[in-house]
Amino acid sequence: MSASPIEPAGTRPGAGPGGYANPYVAGIGLGLVLLGAFVIMGRGLGASGAFSSTLAWLVNLVAPAHAQANEYFQGYLGDGSTHPLKAWLVFEVIGVLTGALLSGLLAGRVHFAIEKGPRATAALRLACAFLGGMLMAFGAHLARGCTSGQALTGGALLNVGSWAFMIMVFVGGYAAAWFMRWQWR
Amino acid sequence: MKWPTLTLNQKLGALALALGAVALLSQPHKGPYVKLDARELAMIVDKEVDHVKPAELAAWIIEGRSDYRLLDLRSEAAYAQYHIPTAENVPLAGLADFAVSPGEKIVLYSEGGIHAAQAWMLMRARGHANVYTVLLGLDGWKDDVLFPVLPADASPQERARFEKTAAVAKFFGGQARVGSEAAAGAEPGLPAMAAPAPSEMPKLAPPVPGKAPAPMTPRKKKEGC
Amino acid sequence: MMTPLYKYGFFGDEMSLIVAVLLGIGFGFCLERAGFGSARKLAAQFYLYDMSVFKVMFTAIVTALLGVTYLGWIGWLDLSQVYLVPTYLAPQIVGGLVLGVGFVVGGYCPGTSAAAVATGRIDGMVYALGIFAGTFVYAEAYPAIKGFVNATPMGQVTLPQVFDIPWGVLVFAVVLMAVLGFWGATRVERWIGSRS
Repeated sequence: MSASPIEPAGTRPGAGPGGYANPYVAGIGLGLVLLGAFVIMGRGLGASGAFSSTLAWLVNLVAPAHAQANEYFQGYLGDGSTHPLKAWLVFEVIGVLTGALLSGLLAGRVHFAIEKGPRATAALRLACAFLGGMLMAFGAHLARGCTSGQALTGGALLNVGSWAFMIMVFVGGYAAAWFMRWQWR
Repeated sequence: MKWPTLTLNQKLGALALALGAVALLSQPHKGPYVKLDARELAMIVDKEVDHVKPAELAAWIIEGRSDYRLLDLRSEAAYAQYHIPTAENVPLAGLADFAVSPGEKIVLYSEGGIHAAQAWMLMRARGHANVYTVLLGLDGWKDDVLFPVLPADASPQERARFEKTAAVAKFFGGQARVGSEAAAGAEPGLPAMAAPAPSEMPKLAPPVPGKAPAPMTPRKKKEGC
Repeated sequence: MMTPLYKYGFFGDEMSLIVAVLLGIGFGFCLERAGFGSARKLAAQFYLYDMSVFKVMFTAIVTALLGVTYLGWIGWLDLSQVYLVPTYLAPQIVGGLVLGVGFVVGGYCPGTSAAAVATGRIDGMVYALGIFAGTFVYAEAYPAIKGFVNATPMGQVTLPQVFDIPWGVLVFAVVLMAVLGFWGATRVERWIGSRS
């Protein structure tokens, strides 16, 4: 991953198609970051918790009474002694945004675009993105973690629930793939 | 030489398999022949990563979790009179011979903190790393779970939160108290310990829906995702 | 030296937030490098012509798993202090299914959507808004579904404990499965690629 991205894709060792890194090299990098989290923090990586903290903070700004009456938001607001955004995962996701921007800039991949297959219209794609985000959030909360917090982290710790979860993610994904193929292919 | 014809991916795959094969022998949770590291032990004690708060334990019991074994180190008589639900009785003298499977999570308690702490050291000496004590033992259990006290000058928020604590106390056959009551009668709850209440402890299978107190820590620690 | 450093009090809460940012940078960098800022690349996993999601994820799992195993073995890492998300089998199975469907419909997961947002993907931003909406719906529904969310608790358990298999054997099984899976995935990619 230290190789300069200015070189054309495929010429350097470890480069995969499309100018992206070799998946195994990227995977080892990701695994070492995860291992670092275990060794330094005694916990894994995550993502969806940062969205929850942010939402709890926003709802508390707009409708404090409502937020504080809700058991779920209350969990993220705490007793008010610390700011809701002062949470480990919020800072971690700030790092994710920074790291991804850095990598994207180095590779010249930062530009406004909508990712979709040739057959999908932009409006439909965005509607699906929104719906997918909703489903994802709901699933992640039911499962107590998303692909980062459960599948990746728990997978590396041989956590029972994480492996059950991970298998079901692939089952759900492949089951829905046929119905969504117009969006991607 | 066929070696150089391996691609990077093949080399990585071979490396992973080799490391995986050696890992067949591994015991990452420490086997029974580990030497005691005095500094490490001191650090564990100092950083208080070796105990479970009574409220946490109560939450586990209500949830019906089965990933740990709770051991009561007191005498059989004391155990018969009252014990924390789901606890097994293992008098301190019998602990050295008590069989635990490697990696199993063990939670110890005794009357106060001392015996459990000594037993904790004993378990560590046997090479069992996954062992914890209930903070302040049965005394802590009484104070925090069975007979929690709400300060008389508590804020409305604290009061609201205390409702959960009180529900837990009730679940375990105890009684929550408000500051003034607690001050008036010295230790009014204690006699209840000897009373038959604990023996008719609710069956600890699934918590009653709706009544089940949610995680007790005021700020939910979302450590996962 | 004994790790996890944070659990043994080598640094405090303020410092842990700086560590969070640094680890996050590494996480985000790797995600974007792998191409996970692109929904098309991610969705390709489910159409079998690019199985990078599987490859990256399982390489990361194998790397970290071997890492904790060896560090625990030589006594540098106290694995009992590494937080395990408690297992609640039923909600986690259902949650995985819902999340898998959401993955194909939306094209991202929460972590990769952050990478997409950072590199300017508009669908990634809309997806992130969807996460907020979904979280809000969940929060409002929480009292009603609380019973199910907390059903079938098994506590913090690992596969070696449940199946009573030595840890090392399971590590080897996972590594073997991953390497065979990578080989198979590459064959499938070629096969699908040659068909279209």
